Amino acid sequence: MNVFDLLIVNPMTNALMLLYGLLGNSYVLAIVALTLIIRLLTLPLTLRQQISSIKMAAMQPQIKALQEKYKNDPQTLSIEMRKLGFNPFSGCLPLLIQFPILIGMYQAIIRTLAVTPLSLLELGSHVYSFLPSLAQLVPIDSTLFSIFDLGQPDRFLIIPILVVISTYFANKVMTPPTTDPTMQQTNQVMQWMMPLMFGFFMLSTPVGLGIYWIVSNLVGVLQYFITKPQVDRARALHAAAASTTGAGAASSLASQKPLFEPPRSKVQVKSTGRINRSASTATREKRPTPKS
Amino acid sequence: MWQRLRVSVLVLAGAALLVACGGGEPIPTSFPGLTVIGREGYLVSNLHVYKFDAREGREIWRFPSAKGNDQPRGPFAGQPVVIGDLVIVGGSITLNGAPDPHLYAISASDGSERWRFLPSPGAKEFADGVATDGKLIFAPNGDHTLYAIDPTAEDGQPRIIWTFTAQNKLWAKPVVADGRVYLPSLDHFLYALDAATGREVWRFNAGASIASTPTLADGVLYFGSFAQKLFAVRAEDGSAIWESPMDAWIWCQPLVRDEEVIVGDVKGKLYALDRRSGTRRWTAQVGGPIRAQPVAVADKLYVVSFDTYLYEIDLAVAANEGRKPVRRVLENGLNRRLLSDPMLVEDALLVPLFDGDVKLIAVDLRSGQKRFEFPPRTQP
Repeated sequence: MNVFDLLIVNPMTNALMLLYGLLGNSYVLAIVALTLIIRLLTLPLTLRQQISSIKMAAMQPQIKALQEKYKNDPQTLSIEMRKLGFNPFSGCLPLLIQFPILIGMYQAIIRTLAVTPLSLLELGSHVYSFLPSLAQLVPIDSTLFSIFDLGQPDRFLIIPILVVISTYFANKVMTPPTTDPTMQQTNQVMQWMMPLMFGFFMLSTPVGLGIYWIVSNLVGVLQYFITKPQVDRARALHAAAASTTGAGAASSLASQKPLFEPPRSKVQVKSTGRINRSASTATREKRPTPKS
Repeated sequence: MWQRLRVSVLVLAGAALLVACGGGEPIPTSFPGLTVIGREGYLVSNLHVYKFDAREGREIWRFPSAKGNDQPRGPFAGQPVVIGDLVIVGGSITLNGAPDPHLYAISASDGSERWRFLPSPGAKEFADGVATDGKLIFAPNGDHTLYAIDPTAEDGQPRIIWTFTAQNKLWAKPVVADGRVYLPSLDHFLYALDAATGREVWRFNAGASIASTPTLADGVLYFGSFAQKLFAVRAEDGSAIWESPMDAWIWCQPLVRDEEVIVGDVKGKLYALDRRSGTRRWTAQVGGPIRAQPVAVADKLYVVSFDTYLYEIDLAVAANEGRKPVRRVLENGLNRRLLSDPMLVEDALLVPLFDGDVKLIAVDLRSGQKRFEFPPRTQP
């Protein structure tokens, strides 16, 4: 058994079946409940991604200046960008970490719905033996409103359309605003491309996965509004830090408690003028003035 | 530059997701089936039905032929049944759940299609083929219905004689004997039906789905279920003789050999039980799920597994703390998942492969080497 199955697919598969049994043999409710649980467990990642996006957006003017200054010296540019605290993957990484979860969910849905004999056989080898009562739930009732078969693609195209709409809506709401024209352009492309890509994907995948995606989007939007005050505060702080190079902003930042605090060993002064509140005063005084 | 990189990463991640979750060449979703009559082998494997020389591996015909048909056929699954000059096979199910709900009768002589039969508008997949008593064919379907069909009733065309509807999918072939049909169902029941009329004689609740064919020996039906149990039930009245706990789901037709019942589970454990009492005598562990019925040859037992290996167990060797040692016959395995019953032809074990271009491998049990692959690599 591979590690991916052991750590992601098997727990999801068994959890989905357990929830199906607990929620009156309703597979849709089981998907909704598991989506909520997954969203809750990945909340730190989601928040980190949002904060990271805000940071990157706020840094754009400085990045542009550096790119202009070191356009013929990519090595120095890279060093300076790193000094600035710029990490192109910091926004993507939490998002990429969520892909295994999506793939795991896909496999868990395929297995539990067991549309084919092979998937039912695979389900058997992944169900925990210490939960023998799960076997009584098999085969899972995969019908919804007597219209959809959750294990098959939606021939009415209702679910793919809802996936496109909910993904667009979620992206629209949750993408942080930016003043950088390139970023704006990128965001615009992504806002259309991602929903269409997922909608296309849903044309050939089971309705059950589409429901997971729709619920996940809606819960994501709800989560966004719940955490919005914190995120707005972080945005304001980073915007202030990016636009101000003086110590005033730094001390303003230093007086605020950040949403995520890095480990003490990694605390260092950034040449952007943004200072972690735990940096020493002596260090702060030696901070080089940004050349931008 | 970074923006482009970021967009590229996202697009690549999306593409990776699409590749990981869908597309690709069609892979089988139901299990191949093999029948050998004398020297003639009939193999159902994914998109084709083959007739071949079971001793040499030479292809005689395939259906649909390489020329193709106007309408798509298959995929197919389950053991083919031969009645006279007809080879009866059932359509199965594709990866995204779309079934081919037809039964097919193919000429055993030349591989041409004699008829293609849709038993009802709501029919679904025939996931494990059909059974026969020599006259009628009994075709369990994913629409919960068992169809009893006379294959040559009206000018060589099929006709439904009776139907029986269970409460869930029928994914395992029934056993037909002594005027009765013993039908396993995913609805947790084993049904005994009158073969002539379809009338229910008795039903036995196995506590969870039954996905494998029972074995009938001396008036006793042996079968396992997903309830992690193996049952021995009297065929006459459906009363239980014993039930024995297993460690995982059973999706394997038991082998009855002398005083033992031998069966594998979906987590690769093989059990030998006392036939009279159901007491566990010994176990053995292989590397993947066991779906295929084991084959006994003299004092050796051969088991194929999902993990691509053919295993040999020496029944003469005493079990150590209740566990028998296993040996891989071909150290590198057969490279494909092995989920269908192998068949012994002379000294070779014919092992159907679940997927890939090679559909079957004959393993010489004396030398422990491959004798032939089917279809032969030289053929198109």
